[in-house]
Amino acid sequence: MTQVLAYLDPGSGSIILQVLVGGVAAAAVTAKLYWSRLLKFLRIRKDEEQPESGA
Amino acid sequence: MTTAGPAPPLAGASAEPGSFRDPDSTVFYADGAVYRALSEDGLADFELLAQSKLFTRETEAGRLVPTELVEGEAAGPRAGRCAGLLRHELIPFVSYPYEWPFGMQRDAALLQLDLVSAALDEDLMLKDSSSYNVQWRGSQPVFVDIGSFEKLRDGEPWIGYRQFCMLFLYPLMLQAYKGLAPHAWLRGSIDGISPGEMRTVMSFRDRFRKGVTPHVMLHARLERSHGEPGKEAKSELRKAGFKKEIIKANVTKLHKLITRLDWSPAAGVWTEYEGKNTYEDAEAEKKAQFIREVANSRDWGLAWDLGCNEGRYSRIAAEGARHLVAVDADQGPVEHLYRSLKEEGNTKITTLTMNLTDPSPGLGWRGLERKPLADRGAPDLTLCLALIHHVSIAGNVPVREYLDWLASLGTSLIIEFPEREDPMVKTLLGAKREGLHTDYETEFFERALGEAFEVERRERVSDTRLLFFARPKGSPAPA
Repeated sequence: MTQVLAYLDPGSGSIILQVLVGGVAAAAVTAKLYWSRLLKFLRIRKDEEQPESGA
Repeated sequence: MTTAGPAPPLAGASAEPGSFRDPDSTVFYADGAVYRALSEDGLADFELLAQSKLFTRETEAGRLVPTELVEGEAAGPRAGRCAGLLRHELIPFVSYPYEWPFGMQRDAALLQLDLVSAALDEDLMLKDSSSYNVQWRGSQPVFVDIGSFEKLRDGEPWIGYRQFCMLFLYPLMLQAYKGLAPHAWLRGSIDGISPGEMRTVMSFRDRFRKGVTPHVMLHARLERSHGEPGKEAKSELRKAGFKKEIIKANVTKLHKLITRLDWSPAAGVWTEYEGKNTYEDAEAEKKAQFIREVANSRDWGLAWDLGCNEGRYSRIAAEGARHLVAVDADQGPVEHLYRSLKEEGNTKITTLTMNLTDPSPGLGWRGLERKPLADRGAPDLTLCLALIHHVSIAGNVPVREYLDWLASLGTSLIIEFPEREDPMVKTLLGAKREGLHTDYETEFFERALGEAFEVERRERVSDTRLLFFARPKGSPAPA
């Protein structure tokens, strides 16, 4: 699916914050987000990923 | 411009200059009604909204502006781009967040959060969080930006969260935690207060106050370390499995936080006023009777009460008006009035706070996005009770200048003149150099009033106070 851009820039920091303060509902997403950042940082995974398949 | 079918004639439509940021939805006026021209995407989003339970429920509750789709082919101001046309019910008087007392700002914020929460339940979302999307029917908040609703996109975070902080949360925190009224700041910055700015205002102690660490400190920090636009972070989050439950959890927490934010006017602000008021009960009753008679003498459309204080006379004047805007420079009594009107479910009196020697100007792009006070609907009847001495002596606006401004509104006027011997006037004059304000004098006032208006009635309500009723120059005397 192509990404539809909003007319408002949500701001990266403001987006990341939403998972950090999202409590239990966001715990898994936070873990996943920082895990993938770690992998990228360690160059285990490339910056540009293949488009994900399904949800 | 072409119209067909049942669509209204749109010739002479004028675009709302404040409505250009969202390309999918443009507001304009024609035939004394408000219309919204939608793009194809905008129309698709509206159709989803119109089928939702929240649309019916919130419209019936008065929290969403009544809206209908105008059937037929109609071209908006951006001819060719208009796929659909909506007609909205008119709001009696447009007002802005920098004119609302604390309680109104908080209720507007809670309405915004309620709508986000209800939208999420039906897989909808609001594309922004501008406090300017809330208007008032008396003391009742009404969300007017129907174009803000859109289909919820899977894995997308809350786009309007940052704007919510800047225009709703931070102004409320400023007042609740710091005792600092945010009005001047909001009036000076159409986008509100940024996380970075808010952070600099917070002291070490403030970090321990509810919500400050996540929504201010961490927010500002992340904003500094993530300078790039939100697009990349959005796709990162989508991949990590972001879901609407996270937004919902955040909205619920924010709702709780904002419900707890509180500000109360310093004890005795309005009681102090009452105490200082030199009226005896009988005189106050005389004044009330005068106002009641004028209010009921004809059908007044819009009325203003400038210097409304705790609103005693606003309520009387509102008996004879379709809508009344009660304004005072002091936020304390306005907050108090708002709370009691809200409790009564009043939909006729809207309370605003504003310095009356510095009324709201035109702001935003080209100075047209937010209108000056007088451009939002001039009053048919204006009350200026116990005000002119403040404006003229404390505010240094010459008496004639102030009367000329009132006359330029084309309004009828109930004006009270406290004479130089009045204790309150003496106090104000006492603070000034001798020989100043020679224009503040009964004879001169009456002459200037007679030159600017047709004086219909004059009455002495106390030893040192006169009350006048005047209609616009050249207007016919009532039959």
